[in-house]
Amino acid sequence: MLNDMIIGMAGSGGDGIVSAGDALISAAAREGYYAMLTKSFGSQIRGGESSCRLRVATTPVLNPGGTLDVAVVLNWEDFLRFGGELPVGTDTVVLYEKKTGVEPAAIPLKVQPGIVLAVPMADLAIKSAGTLQAKNNVVLGLLAGWFNLGREAILEGIRRKFAKKGAEVLQGNERAYAAGLAYADEHPLTRDMRLAPPVATGAKRRVTDGNEICAEAALFAGCKFFGGYPITPATEIMQYLQKDIWKHGGSLLQAEDEIAGIAAVVGASFAGKKAMTATSGPGFSLKSEVIGLASIAELPLVCVNVQRGGPSTGLPTKTEQADLFAAVFSAHGDTVRPVLAPIGVSDVFGVTVEAFNIAEAYQTPVIVLSDQEIAQRKDVIDPVDTTPFKLIERLKPTPEELAAGYNRFKITDSGVSPLSHPGMPGGSYLAAGIEHNEHGDPTSSGEMHERMNNKRLNKLNPLKTRDDLFILEGDIDAPLGVISWGGMAGAALEAVRTARAQGIPVKLLIPKLLYPIAESVYRDFFASLQRCVVVEQSHQGQLHRLIRMWVDVPRDFTSLARSGANPIPPAAIVQRLRVMAESLANHPATPAP
Amino acid sequence: MSVPSTTDCGCAPSAAAPLTIKDFRSDLKPIWCPGCGDYGVVTALYRALVNIGRPAHEVAFISGIGCSSRIPGYTTAYGFNTVHGRALPVAQGIKMANPDLLVLVAGGDGDGFSIGGGHVPHAIRRNLDLTYIVMDNHIYGLTKGQMSPTTPRGAKTNSTTYGSLEEPVNPLLYVLAYGAGFVAQGLPADMEGLTKMIEAAIRYPGFSFVNIQSPCVTFGDPNDQMKVQKAKMKKLADLGHDPTNRLRAMDLAQAYGTELYTGIFYQNPTPPETYDQMIRARQAELQAK
Repeated sequence: MLNDMIIGMAGSGGDGIVSAGDALISAAAREGYYAMLTKSFGSQIRGGESSCRLRVATTPVLNPGGTLDVAVVLNWEDFLRFGGELPVGTDTVVLYEKKTGVEPAAIPLKVQPGIVLAVPMADLAIKSAGTLQAKNNVVLGLLAGWFNLGREAILEGIRRKFAKKGAEVLQGNERAYAAGLAYADEHPLTRDMRLAPPVATGAKRRVTDGNEICAEAALFAGCKFFGGYPITPATEIMQYLQKDIWKHGGSLLQAEDEIAGIAAVVGASFAGKKAMTATSGPGFSLKSEVIGLASIAELPLVCVNVQRGGPSTGLPTKTEQADLFAAVFSAHGDTVRPVLAPIGVSDVFGVTVEAFNIAEAYQTPVIVLSDQEIAQRKDVIDPVDTTPFKLIERLKPTPEELAAGYNRFKITDSGVSPLSHPGMPGGSYLAAGIEHNEHGDPTSSGEMHERMNNKRLNKLNPLKTRDDLFILEGDIDAPLGVISWGGMAGAALEAVRTARAQGIPVKLLIPKLLYPIAESVYRDFFASLQRCVVVEQSHQGQLHRLIRMWVDVPRDFTSLARSGANPIPPAAIVQRLRVMAESLANHPATPAP
Repeated sequence: MSVPSTTDCGCAPSAAAPLTIKDFRSDLKPIWCPGCGDYGVVTALYRALVNIGRPAHEVAFISGIGCSSRIPGYTTAYGFNTVHGRALPVAQGIKMANPDLLVLVAGGDGDGFSIGGGHVPHAIRRNLDLTYIVMDNHIYGLTKGQMSPTTPRGAKTNSTTYGSLEEPVNPLLYVLAYGAGFVAQGLPADMEGLTKMIEAAIRYPGFSFVNIQSPCVTFGDPNDQMKVQKAKMKKLADLGHDPTNRLRAMDLAQAYGTELYTGIFYQNPTPPETYDQMIRARQAELQAK
């Protein structure tokens, strides 16, 4: 029996592979498993190749994993297009459509998997349901039968899905599912590949994605305005919000372009409301001037960048972590903007709430770097416990401060000045993108510019001590270290746990606060290190380079980085750690000269 | 020919004592050149705001970048001097976030019809209750005299030494074509007319547009200064124009650049529901569920 199983499926658009994945993850949640479903498509709007990966386990799933335990191939051409996204190993069970005409010994893979089964999926669908459209339910039956993936829960899902389509359609699909089950039962596998029963916790789990959680968190945080423009893979944040924000007394603008979207957000923030926008790479580039405006006008806002492959249009449907530089150095001028990144679907909630809190507390735009995978994959998560979250509201001037002559940009010890809003008597001021004095009057004085830069940069210093925005795992005095962030962090976490179980002395640091660089947190982490690797999904290894800019790093400070759409599975990280451990044994540290 | 009175636009006075110009004039000294038309615009605006009667702290005054975009700083309203071309979207965010505010937007012809031109149609079709004032001087003044979107063809500027090769934008026709419910043109040389028209624009419940021929004394055409304008202007009211006639308004607007018409070109006699009203209705409806 297995406690953890990875299933990868690929076919062409009409094969229903992705909806089979949806059915499996819903069933997994109902049965009490944890699971993660990632989908991958060609960039066609409809049709073309599509695939999904489901990782289902008895314990929380941290990342999509590496080599498949089960590969389902509806046709080889489409399957092979996904390359490294659906890696097959010698232990993989490969099920493929018999109609492809390929002999099991001649399948077009670089490795020969242990179990290869040519299954007449299309024939079973035609015989049972009279239509090829039922093929994906044959596949569900095969998977339920061979791998013990919740027979009843899947059937229940099929019934719910087809209930409205009439008795004939429903029964056809039920028969297709039964045909798959029967085929599996009649052809037992030579190896026990059944999934272990779930560990009951009693918590009612749900299937959701990072974009939905982001919208929920924004409403929880008190967001009253969203301005944005449709862009893959961020659009769903707007779609979720437009259903509910009105009920919270807020409003939403689908603007004429990305710039107008964030400009309206700045306006709403100026008007005294918590406000946000969400976008992806190309939109983020367009928004940068207005992000700069929010920085100098000291207006809070949250800008979510759901990263995709770039530059320019890049890989709109694939994940990447290559916008870290763009986020940190967005817009011109001498300024610092906080940048946060969630490590998974469930974590998006806390990070989004934190982004609003930081924005309001420090009167600054805050950038949240989500990514396509976190945003659009489906996770089975436990219900989010909102009790630990405290909401921060912006500092407003007191009646006494207003009566004494209000200075909007008053230089205070903290650098944060009380912020009025239109409608507040006595609080009128001029907000501006131009440099200003404490009262808000425009100035071109170098001296005033220096003072205001001091104010705007130093007010963020307390963030650099926020070690609660970091995850630390492993022995504090370990000589080997891993740093990872965002969507890659789950793979790193799993790899470090595996490596430690193998006796490799390693610890892990995951920053959710990427900028400003919390120098002391890194320094403390580096204290015991002789070797360290930064794992991330960008060609340049952007976090690796950014840390070097701010902190003295260990002598052997390396990068494990790949461009987007080339996953780094936990096994690759463990392999790197093994090499680092061997190198450490062969070349023990010499004292610094 | 009379324009229906539309005063139920949240413009009811809420200050106890009558307001004066002092209540709206800030301590900041304008950076404008002596003789700039914009002095007249800000004065007309003070007067209009006095007549409207909303206290300054209930007014949000948003601008872009340019000489004229400095104007919010010379008022006691909550001002926001944003970035080039983005005043309208910022203003819409403000009005959506708090529909109780009186929202004014101002900028130059470059701000509104060049870099920010893409926002104008959408502000018009969305129809939030805000007033957009463009100080149209046919030149980029703050960057010292380059061709603007309303510079006449053939005009020599610092970026068109041999004369502009481009047809200018016609701001009046542009906004009329997109369906603006209130369109007027005024001159600082005609202070009384300008004040009345700004007041009427603010009172119009929906997107209102006032194009002001505000000459640039430093880089503008010497033959397009205030004295010349005063002599050249033709009041639409004197021509017997019916401002509820949109097609006639468009016809007259075609003379932009040749004739100098002032007054209200078009005012929708039956203003449709505004976007901000619809937002409130949707919030109330969904909150009641």
